[in-house]
Amino acid sequence: MTALEPLSVAALVLWGTLVGLDLVSVAQTMLARPLVAGAVSGLLLGDVEAGLRVGALIELFALDVLPVGAARYPDYGPPTVAATALAADAPWELTLGLAATVALIGAVIGGWSLQFVRRRNAASIQRASAALAAGESPTIRRLQYAGLSRDALRSLLLTALVLAGAAGAALIPLDRATAVALTVVNVGIGLAAALGGAIRSAGRGRRRAWLVGGLAAGTLLALAVGR
Amino acid sequence: MTGRLRALLRLFAVQGTWNYERMLGVGMGYAAEPLLEELKISDPQRHAEAVIRSAEFFNCNPNLAGLALGAEVRAEYDAAPGAQVARLRTALCSPLGALGDQLFWAGVVPALVGLALAGVVLGAGLWSIAAFLAAYNAVRIWTAVWALRTGLTAGMNVGTAIGRSWVPRAADAAGSAAGFGLGLALPLVGVWFLRPFPLPAELGALGLTALGLVAGYVAGARYGALRYALLAVLVTLLVRLAAP
Repeated sequence: MTALEPLSVAALVLWGTLVGLDLVSVAQTMLARPLVAGAVSGLLLGDVEAGLRVGALIELFALDVLPVGAARYPDYGPPTVAATALAADAPWELTLGLAATVALIGAVIGGWSLQFVRRRNAASIQRASAALAAGESPTIRRLQYAGLSRDALRSLLLTALVLAGAAGAALIPLDRATAVALTVVNVGIGLAAALGGAIRSAGRGRRRAWLVGGLAAGTLLALAVGR
Repeated sequence: MTGRLRALLRLFAVQGTWNYERMLGVGMGYAAEPLLEELKISDPQRHAEAVIRSAEFFNCNPNLAGLALGAEVRAEYDAAPGAQVARLRTALCSPLGALGDQLFWAGVVPALVGLALAGVVLGAGLWSIAAFLAAYNAVRIWTAVWALRTGLTAGMNVGTAIGRSWVPRAADAAGSAAGFGLGLALPLVGVWFLRPFPLPAELGALGLTALGLVAGYVAGARYGALRYALLAVLVTLLVRLAAP
């Protein structure tokens, strides 16, 4: 893990907060996709390759999530930001597995934190039910700003927590074989997550045919450029 | 800034107070406020009732929420009976949720993420990320503008307007694009990650992929890739710890 200057920590926490807000509350411009969150974190840390590697790996897990209706899901964005710091300035083959593990644990905590914020939002709406029933516009505005503030605070704390976790994980003495094994394990299961999600979304019929066509084209392209 | 533009901007935060009680309800009320300002002057009683209705329970895909918002506001200005406006709102939840989820979460997003991943593997780096963000947000913003305008024009007839629009056809096509985009990306990503490792490690990773797919097929909704990954990491660490 690269030694982080206070300015870098502040930049990562700020970026993680924006990423967390983007997931549900504001804009949904896809800054919260791990691929984007990781790439920009890599840029902030001066190691774009690490950001792209961590982002792409966590993105495989995120592709398994379909955020429909009232579904509960992990929050991969802020943990990806923090985990990139763990992988930066080191050979990715040795750091990616541990960074991904930290990000996945952070994503679980992120999912819980989303539920907590949603319950707090519901509680504040219940408290304001009389004003809402009276059609008071200022109450609606107040509830909205409070909800946004809660999510901003959640995202900030989540990024800071996972960043602290990443700093702790960097102290774990892993030998080369174990570090590589963690990378290989996470990549293998990440591929299963993304492919499983794609198969479920494709269902049957024409969509599945497009998926099979894409897999064939991707395999040919991978053979052409990869070996 | 016009009321319509302010409402459009507020729609981008329609999930700001997401909760299990009213879901998008309060966010919809927040976005409706600028559009209902004229009603406050012309018919204060109706305005007060409209504000109450605007913040009640509502849920749909956020990218298509403008359709419901516009239709509801237009119905309020057209002096449609309050119960009818409330029914319209309820009736729009499922179709706008299903169409929007199919179009965006199971279509445009995975299709573009797949292409972005492929771009990264093929060496486009940050340009691939920038192109992904530009393409997605162009679609998203255009859809938001169209949705609000269509809702405000159609009012109570918004269901017919949606049925005749590009959305159902695009949702179907986007699903196919998602399949192709992800299919294209995954082998490339697999090779990108596993190429530096020796063959046994590559085979081990692919074995875990196959095991994960089988577990997902057998266990259905009980299976979670994240839990599987954390369990596998734990087992790996224990095995490595026990190794001489």
